Amino acid sequence: MEARRETVTFRVFRYIPGDGEKGFRSYTLEVPEGTTVLEALHIIKEQHDPTLAWRSSCRMGVCGSCGMLINGEPRLACQTQVLHLGSKVVELRPMANYPVTRDLVPDLSSLFSKHAAISPHILRPDQREVDSPTGEFIQSPAELESYLQFSYCIKCGLCLAACPTVATDPDFLGPQALAQAYRYSADTRDGGLDSRRGVLDRFHGVFQCHMAGACSAACPKGVDPAFAIQLLKREVVLRGLGKRRRRLARVSPLPSEHVPSEKIPAAPPRTA
Amino acid sequence: MRESRFWALSMLAAVVMLVVLTAHMAVMHLSPLVGVSLETTRSFAAVLDRARSGVQTWGYYLLLAAALYHGLYGLRGVILELPVGRAGARAVTVILALVGLIAFGYGAYVVAETARLAASGI
Amino acid sequence: MRPEVGARAGGRLGPKGWVYAGKYSFERYLYTLHRVTGVGLVLYLLLHIYETGLRLRGEVPWEGLMRLFTAPVFKVGEFLVFAGFAFHALNGIRLLLTEFGFFLGRPSQPIYPYSTSVRRHRPLSYVLMFAAAVFIVLGGFGIFS
Repeated sequence: MEARRETVTFRVFRYIPGDGEKGFRSYTLEVPEGTTVLEALHIIKEQHDPTLAWRSSCRMGVCGSCGMLINGEPRLACQTQVLHLGSKVVELRPMANYPVTRDLVPDLSSLFSKHAAISPHILRPDQREVDSPTGEFIQSPAELESYLQFSYCIKCGLCLAACPTVATDPDFLGPQALAQAYRYSADTRDGGLDSRRGVLDRFHGVFQCHMAGACSAACPKGVDPAFAIQLLKREVVLRGLGKRRRRLARVSPLPSEHVPSEKIPAAPPRTA
Repeated sequence: MRESRFWALSMLAAVVMLVVLTAHMAVMHLSPLVGVSLETTRSFAAVLDRARSGVQTWGYYLLLAAALYHGLYGLRGVILELPVGRAGARAVTVILALVGLIAFGYGAYVVAETARLAASGI
Repeated sequence: MRPEVGARAGGRLGPKGWVYAGKYSFERYLYTLHRVTGVGLVLYLLLHIYETGLRLRGEVPWEGLMRLFTAPVFKVGEFLVFAGFAFHALNGIRLLLTEFGFFLGRPSQPIYPYSTSVRRHRPLSYVLMFAAAVFIVLGGFGIFS
């Protein structure tokens, strides 16, 4: 059976720095069912306009490079099928709330610097255990579940393009960084909420989230940043009132007296 | 002070208002639903009559404090989310705090004076 | 092909981003309305404190002021204040609950189609907005009767 084909016009935002060009260009193509917006962009570049620029890599919703505004909605181009949009004209803009480098390429530096600001890694008083472990941290499946969802963030930045606070406040940490602050702080191996407080518990920190929920609607990975942020607020308030103490995950020492069977060959020497 | 404390206080003020402001709004705007006209509710005599109750007077002090804090804290949030700069942000905070203190002072004076007037009229 | 002129570049949306929400969910618009009613109510509060103080000038000026407030324009204003209050209070209940992590469900594996905390607390949003509508209608009866 022949796949359904339709003629669709793509209104693509064009901006080339220094060139003075800024505006929309339209490209009309016939796309078969199943074509993603990213594939359509490749067709445009190959057959219509080789100067068009965007950012993409994995084309399967894992790398988080191809976030853009598709018909006004922040989405990954690789995970959006053109004919599913149900529109004869598809408008493509760079993600809102970021400076534009060129065409559909946003400058994501602010996203990464905010992410770095919340120390997105395990922080412990016994940091040596993290750097040169003597055993394994004990964590129950339920404890894992309490933060696992938030660890699927691919740093595509779509949530910041959706966030109404980020729309005006350049210093607001934004849904991505705040959700990651909760992802680490809720991890039983981590004891770092107190050291993250400096960035979280200030004006442009966690309390400028007003639960508009747009970030969670935009997230292509189901991370639900709005949820993480509300849980983070509760943690920060309770910790601020001295109401919550944390028990850090214990380290299970490696079995020292265990002698492997002679039938098992020795491991090769470490290379790193 | 940490933002979490300002914010938690604002949430506390919201809870207080859910009780006292709801009561205030119901008395002042919904009285016709129980057969008392708004003119009667808001007449000078009725105002003084209500002011004789200590519970109401203290309720108004509480409402005044909670509403001003919650409202001005919220307004500060809205303004500071605009790019006002560091100095601008500090100025906005100081100005709104002053507005709050003056409004509370004046409002509390009005409540106290009304209570005094009501008591002297007995 | 010449590009269309005057198109907006990317970059920060600005205060328009508070209002214009594109194709977002119900709660995104509740956010906008919460902000608008909040600013309106606090400005009204300051006027209201001043206006209430006029009662200290005695009974005659007070009764005159109250008569003035029966004019249609003030009635409409009063209704707007009441409606703003009813919305802000009931949406505020939702925010009080959700911002402390209630009604949002529990973290779980993200399996497509994703269930978000925003969707999970939507019944609460609907119930509270229905209650706000009921209060606003009651307010209309009270104020315009």
